[in-house]
Parts: sequence; structure tokens; C-alpha cells
Amino acid sequence: MEVLLHILLILLLAKLFGEIFERAGFPSILGELLSGMVLGILLIHQESEILKFLAEMGAIFLLFTAGYKEVHLRDLKESSAKASIVTVVQIIVAFSFGAAIGVYFHLSVLESIFIGVAFSPTSIGVVVRTLIDMDYLSSKPGSMMLTSAIFDDIIGIFLLSIVVTMATYEQFPSGLQVLIILLKMIAFVAIMFSLRKWAFSRLFDQIHKMHVKESIFAFVIVIALFSAYLAEVFGLHAVIGAFIGGVMLSDVPHAKIEHVQSKVTGLAYGIFVPIFFAFIGISLNIASLQTIGLFSVLVVVLALLGKLIGGFLGSRLIGFDNYDSLIFGFGVMPRAGVELVLISIGKEMGIIGDEVFSAIVLMVAVSIFVSPVLLKKAIQFKNRANSNNT
Amino acid sequence: MVDNDGDEDRIRSERSFAERCSEMFIKNFMTKDLVTISENDSIDQILETFDKYHFHTYPVVNEDNILVGTIDQDTILKILLVHRAPRSEHTHLNAVVFQGDTAKAIMVPHPVSISPDEHLCTAADMMLKHKIDRFCIVEDGKLVGIICKPDLIKEVYKLRGSD
Repeated sequence: MEVLLHILLILLLAKLFGEIFERAGFPSILGELLSGMVLGILLIHQESEILKFLAEMGAIFLLFTAGYKEVHLRDLKESSAKASIVTVVQIIVAFSFGAAIGVYFHLSVLESIFIGVAFSPTSIGVVVRTLIDMDYLSSKPGSMMLTSAIFDDIIGIFLLSIVVTMATYEQFPSGLQVLIILLKMIAFVAIMFSLRKWAFSRLFDQIHKMHVKESIFAFVIVIALFSAYLAEVFGLHAVIGAFIGGVMLSDVPHAKIEHVQSKVTGLAYGIFVPIFFAFIGISLNIASLQTIGLFSVLVVVLALLGKLIGGFLGSRLIGFDNYDSLIFGFGVMPRAGVELVLISIGKEMGIIGDEVFSAIVLMVAVSIFVSPVLLKKAIQFKNRANSNNT
Repeated sequence: MVDNDGDEDRIRSERSFAERCSEMFIKNFMTKDLVTISENDSIDQILETFDKYHFHTYPVVNEDNILVGTIDQDTILKILLVHRAPRSEHTHLNAVVFQGDTAKAIMVPHPVSISPDEHLCTAADMMLKHKIDRFCIVEDGKLVGIICKPDLIKEVYKLRGSD
């Protein structure tokens, strides 16, 4: 029953360290990663199967709640073509930078592509505080960041599906195989859309009348697990299914009752997600971090530059001036949850090794520290330039 | 003996109360004279509404009077105190709400509604079970009324009194 002690300590330290980081003005995810690193050094030297399973559930629930709580199909429908242009440009540049590192260090094609995919998403939540403090949330670059972040997540998930399927073929897929991957994805999404249109609302209309305790909550979780399982049946990864399942429930009234949402969030962020982040900390190979060499430095620098340059170019393309484009570029630099889900899948499937894994975790941590500071400087820079001109 | 008689009276009264409650339709007790917010109302117009009236939640309707969402005091407070929001509130969705400039952008777009032909007891059961304080009453998608806990308590109290 040693695992009970491990879970207890993970949750305790994750929340305590998370609180310390929150109070210092940084996201709690850093504390959760740190708790895993500390426990990995002091106590948990071998990853148990139970911990691994709980961490996988954490990744599933992290993406399920992202879809269920944060994405609205309405927002997607209304998102502008401009946002898709700027998102695609910044993803192409970030992806190319990531893949280029792999090629430069003679990594396999698959590993190089995976680094590119891991460079692609953005975690906008990290800079929301800065945007609010600087009164920039409603600005042109601010609203573009918010719209772009939705596309960013979806394209990231799509790229992950491709790379995960490529890994199962253990080689670069042929044209036919790529077509099969695409057909599988389309079939999965089509089934989920049909369920949303024909089944989910009707199902919850009945479920809310059930007499058993917590029926709605239980069925929301059932759908999260069902979507994850169905995705695996289609050869996609469980987290992709969980995310899409969450999106499909995001406008079902009974599934979105406030106290049901708070229970789902409680299960995710009270138990599974901290274990997932801590598990990443535990899995970090300290030895590879101690020998931070050119590779890790390049991963950090190019991941940040890729988003900055891609964001800048994309914004210029849609007509932003240099200042707003710079602000947008810094705003889309931070990475957090989705990237960590990506690399944990990559490690679990044997696509990336310890060194790549550790370097990307380091990149995530650095991006969380530097993005808000650089964004603030860029906004101040623009304000100063404007006041000098007037 | 007195206690037994008292129990029987109570059981009889509760039975008749439950039966009668099941025969009462929401349409007869809902508030029909509603203060609504239009989905295109600006934040200033919404704040004026909250200042003028003192309801907790307002239904948001489109130009065809179709219920499209709700805006409650919590959302308004969140927007007004945006600079004090804790980091855990810095989610993508909240950021979209914080920067919204119309009702459509800040409303909760998936309100649980109920039909005017449902029984009063059904509404009461749902309120208790799902910790919901009020329901928008919708017929063919159109908003026709609202019923909240005080309305229910008033009617239930009347019923018990008549027993």
C-alpha cells in the first residue's frame, strides 16, 4: 500500500507548491511539476503502474475539461478567417523550428516531427493576467490571441492524431496510410457530431430525471471515458477523444449545470490533473537536466522564437502594425498543459527519449516565466512609442 | 394515541399535498411579466438593468424572443472585479467573457429551461436535486416566463395552509 502514501504526498505537495507559485504570481502547474520532481528525487524512484494509470486519467480529464468547459461550438463558428490565418502561420513557423532541431541533431524523422508538434500549441491562460493588468484583453491583439488559442488547440490535437498514428506504423506513413488516418479521424468526429446532434441532449433530458444519486455527473464522466475509448478504437489517442467528447457536451444544458461542472472540475483538478503534472515531474530525468547542453538551450530558445516570429508574421499578414504584431507574438509564446500531455504521450509511445522530454518540460517552465514579462514589456514599448508620437 | 393521530393527519396531509402539487402546472404560477436582456445589449445597458432592477438572473433573448442565455449577478461581479480575479479564473472562456462587449458575449449560453406544462413538483424536485435557483420557462424555444424558489415556496406554503 505504498502507493497510497505516494498519492497522498503527491496531492499534498502539488497543492502546497502550487499555492506558493500562485502567490508568487505564476501558474500552479509549476508547483505541481516541482512536487513530482521533489518526490522523484526523495521517495518515488520507480514509477508504479497505478500512478501511471492515474496520470493517464489526468491527461484524459485535462483535455476533457478543456473541451467541456472552455470551448464553445458557437465560438468556433464565429471565429474569423483572419484568426485561422494567423494561427496557421504561427503553427507552421513553430512546427518548422521544432522539426529543424530534430534534423540538426540527427534525430529520427518521427522524433523530429514530434518536437515540431510539441512546439505548436499555446496556453493563453498564462498571459491573461498580464492582458487584464495592462488593459489589453479587449485590444486587437488581445482578442486575436483568444480566438487564435481555440484554433491552436484544435490544430495541435489534429497534429497529435497524425503523429500518434505515425508512431503505430513505426515509419513515415505512405500516402494511403495518411488517407486512412484522415478517414478514421473524420469518421470519429462524424460519429461524435451525430451523437451530439441526435443523442446527447435527449439522453440528458432523461438522465436528469433519474432517482439515483449523481446521475448527471456520472453520465458526464461516462461520456468522457466513452469518447476516449472510442478514439482508441479508431486508432486515435484517448486524450483526443476526450477533448472532442468534451466539446460535444459543451452546449448540452443539463450536462452544463453549474454544480455538475464544479464536480467534474473537482475530480479533474482536485485529483487526476495534479497527479498527471506531478508524474511528469517524477518522470523527469534529472541527469539529463543536469547536463543542459546545446540541445536543451536550443529547444527553449527556438520554441519561444518560433511562436514569436510565427505570431509576428501571421499578424502582419492580416494587417496588424509592428507593435501589435510583436504583442501578439509574445502573447502566444507560453506553453503549459496541452504540451505536457503531448510529450507524455510521446514518451509513453517511445517516440521521444528522456533528453527531448526533459528539454520540453524545461521549455514549458521557461515559457511560463518569461512570456508574461516579455508581453508586458512589448505593451509598454508600444505605449511609450505612442506617447512619443503624440 | 395523540401522537398516532397526529402522524396520520400529517401523512394524509402530505399525501394530498403531493397529489395536488402534481396537478399544478408551472404555467399557472410562473412570472410572466419579465425583465429581459437583448442579446445585442451593450455592457452599459446590462449594468443599467442590474442597477434598475434587483433580480439575480436575467434571461437573454434574441429578436424573436428565443431564449439564448442568461446573465446573473455572478457574471456581472466577475466582470466588474476583473482586476481582482484569482489566477485560477484566468481561463480562456473567462478571458472571452471579460473582453465581451455585448450580452451575447458574456451570457451563459446553455440555460436549463423547463416547459410551462410541467408540474410544479417537477420544478421543485429539479431545483433541489441540481441546486438550481430558477428556471426559464420556454415554449417552442420562446421565453414565456420564469419561476424561482420563492415562487415555489409561496405556492407550497399556500397549499399546506389550505390543508
